[in-house]
Amino acid sequence: MKDDLVKTVDYGRKLGADYVEIRTQRLFKTLLTTKDGRVEAAKEGTENGAGVRVLAKGAWGFVSLGKLDPKLLLEAVGEAFKLAKAASLETKTPVKLVETKTVEDKVVTKPRKDPREVPIEEKIDAALTMDKTIFNYDRRIKSCTIDYLDLTETNYFINSDGTYIQQDKLYVWSRIFSSAREANVFTSGREEIGSTSGFEVFDVETPEKVGTMIAKRIINQLKAKAPKGGTFPAVIDTNVVGVFIHEALGHLVEADLTLSGSVLSDKLGKKIASEAVTVYDDGTVEGAFGSFKYDDEGVPTQKTLLIKKGELVGLMHNRETAHKFNAEPTGNARAEDFRLEPIIRMRNTYLAPGNSTLEELIEDIDFGYYLKSFRGGQANLDGTFQVGIQEAYEIVKGQLGVPVRNASISGNTLETLHKVDAVGRDFKLWSGRCGKGQIAFICDGGSPIRVSEVIIGGGA
Amino acid sequence: MAELKLDELIGFGQRAVNVAIKKGASEAEAFLSRISGTSVNIERGQIVKSTKRTDQGLGIRAIYKKAVGFAYTNMLTRKNMEDTAVKAFKSAKASKPDENWIGLPSPRKASETKNTYDKQLTAISSDELVETASVMLNAAEGYDKRVLPIGGGVGTILASSAVVNSHGVEAYDEGTGIECSTETMAREAGEVTPVCFELNAERVYKIDPKWVGREAARQAISALKAKKIDSGTFPIIFTQQAFHSLLYYTLINAVKADYIQRERSALKGKIGEEIASNLVTVHDDGLLEGGLQTWKFDGEGVPSQKTLVVEKGILRHFLYNSYTANKIGVKSTGNAFRGGLAPYTSTPVLEATNFTFTQGNKSPENLINEIDDGLIVYNLQGAHSSNPESGEFSVVATPAWKIEKGSIAYAVKGAMLAGTIFDVLKSVSALGNNTRKIGRLVAPWIRIENVKVIGS
Repeated sequence: MKDDLVKTVDYGRKLGADYVEIRTQRLFKTLLTTKDGRVEAAKEGTENGAGVRVLAKGAWGFVSLGKLDPKLLLEAVGEAFKLAKAASLETKTPVKLVETKTVEDKVVTKPRKDPREVPIEEKIDAALTMDKTIFNYDRRIKSCTIDYLDLTETNYFINSDGTYIQQDKLYVWSRIFSSAREANVFTSGREEIGSTSGFEVFDVETPEKVGTMIAKRIINQLKAKAPKGGTFPAVIDTNVVGVFIHEALGHLVEADLTLSGSVLSDKLGKKIASEAVTVYDDGTVEGAFGSFKYDDEGVPTQKTLLIKKGELVGLMHNRETAHKFNAEPTGNARAEDFRLEPIIRMRNTYLAPGNSTLEELIEDIDFGYYLKSFRGGQANLDGTFQVGIQEAYEIVKGQLGVPVRNASISGNTLETLHKVDAVGRDFKLWSGRCGKGQIAFICDGGSPIRVSEVIIGGGA
Repeated sequence: MAELKLDELIGFGQRAVNVAIKKGASEAEAFLSRISGTSVNIERGQIVKSTKRTDQGLGIRAIYKKAVGFAYTNMLTRKNMEDTAVKAFKSAKASKPDENWIGLPSPRKASETKNTYDKQLTAISSDELVETASVMLNAAEGYDKRVLPIGGGVGTILASSAVVNSHGVEAYDEGTGIECSTETMAREAGEVTPVCFELNAERVYKIDPKWVGREAARQAISALKAKKIDSGTFPIIFTQQAFHSLLYYTLINAVKADYIQRERSALKGKIGEEIASNLVTVHDDGLLEGGLQTWKFDGEGVPSQKTLVVEKGILRHFLYNSYTANKIGVKSTGNAFRGGLAPYTSTPVLEATNFTFTQGNKSPENLINEIDDGLIVYNLQGAHSSNPESGEFSVVATPAWKIEKGSIAYAVKGAMLAGTIFDVLKSVSALGNNTRKIGRLVAPWIRIENVKVIGS
């Protein structure tokens, strides 16, 4: 394998490319979907392919092919070189890459329970046990959809700087979605489990534990009321903090989006949040869904400090943006698979702990909301964010009150981060997937916060 | 690179089906797809990247004692294909029977489509795409200096697929597509606008990159000097992008038979009832001429069709794949979908095709002129966090503009909209005559009365 890759890279350099990079992959997947206790299909798949990226005359050419064949790889490099040349005709500021240390390494996974050795029957059983736990919880539960995926990858990375890495990867993931109905009231909830350690994640996040948590949530929501629309104080727990930090802050400090003119583009070194706020994007958390050793440009991952006590101190970089900012690359370049080129993505993004208990965060609020679990979130580069909430409660006179459903929060990142007036001591990371034209496996979370005000979007 | 021809695809499929049947499967299906595409990308005001992708593969469903197994591969050697068929069979054997399983579809009369393939698009050079992207970029930058075209590009796609099953279904189709898009922001005196986005997607080589660039720039400039507004109830015009994102997570799910049968839809049992204003007529039109989702057959080989979903406000029909149709003894409406960059890697899911609203007769100007105090919303943020069961939504309208006394007054920031999709449908008071294709939606601008707006 290595000889063919070296030859291909050399060929690209001979053509006149400034930089050549090849990623090859072999992927093995097991997938399952169960709906209301029946298995829709048990699935297995194998794929291979390569992504070839060439920098020439200041522009990128990228070719992906669903085949691994030395002859086709040579053709692909030639094609990528041509594409780069075509694009470069209109390039005003040539792309340049920051220098990095070259690496030669081999990374293997060491799962306690390798998903490839777990029979598919056991995977089906895990899903069906979860399904049963949910349906047995209450007769008002109407549907339950469970997706399961395990993915094992053998990746080779080579570039014209001399880096050569073989990196195996392993992901186990499940998403559970359930709904309940009573008369004309519909409620639903979802949860995701993800790990890079192995199938043993289900020994911790057991089907019974996760199933009960979801069932309880959606049954409680049946008697929930719609929130009042308006501006209120809120306590935001770890799960919602995660999506808030990821969406409202994280995307704005992905250096490609910062450069695009996000609201944070002129804020590096400035105070953008209250003193209580410290945020990391960390690719080194053992077993976490967003962890890996090398990114898809061959750069080692790291723990990147983004906000230190309210001050924006770092951005997430690939080699291109690191050059633009005269910064170190942070190992955030990730590609979903060989079909797509690496772009700047988050890993495990979290808000660092403070020292309050959850009770202390709640006790001073006369009327507000406690936001426990999110349904989805989205942010805009102008700093406008929205997070839909699937589990929330009123806070009345310092105590948790009745459940509230279909709430959402919104605001502007900069305004809201300044309004964080206390941070809790609990800490949790939540697994999920982030879409930025491609899917990336990530975690987000951290510690609960109290904000003096945020817009609560009311229900109907 | 060698391309698989029609006969080869069908031949591969048949061989795979035969292997699964010989192993002991009661039924089997092979789905083959090949996708190639070329694109040119704009990043931060310049063209810096061009990409080309090709991939092809095979996915096999095998059924054994009412249990379904599936396996796929993109390594199309004879041995690999046979191994994949065996794997699909073994997965079925390891799985659990589904009592509701009736069977894979049988052959039906094929459907014909129009304007879904353009030979020109199969041979377009990357130089030509760079030229097109450049026209679009210059149109955006030439509109106003304060505009930054942060993203977008031009891309073409050539896709072919074949379905073969053991009941004699044998279908093949190929199609093309081209899309150009521009994302813009504007910046002035410390103010940053939200991202504005415009696009033009077609199946044949007939796009207007100049308009796309200019329109994206116009929106960004117009989004400057945004103001917060007070809460209230307003008439709202939704443009197609905003309406698409709202419907995709609510109504489009609510009319899927899967949602109905699993009690996940508020429309269950409402066929024949009034669910929308009598101005609303919707077809799911899998055969729409030049439609972005128009194909001769669906992901399991059922011919595409035009299905009446809502007729003058009355709910008429749901959308079915074979499984949900068999379950209650009706016919599939051809809504089994396999998509993405590698369609062969998935089993079909129930999905709308071209979800088409019959247009009205009002010009866009007319729709705006008739509003004394309201909003026009170009996009929504957070629509995916809507409650898919109840149709409740709580989203940010961005970019959006205030309409006062019949004309656009100023950009609005941070306004949230809350309601349920079923109230929205009942409150449709006018439809424009400016139909466009956006994603799965084909519709004009739509005016809705009494939408709850939460200002700040």
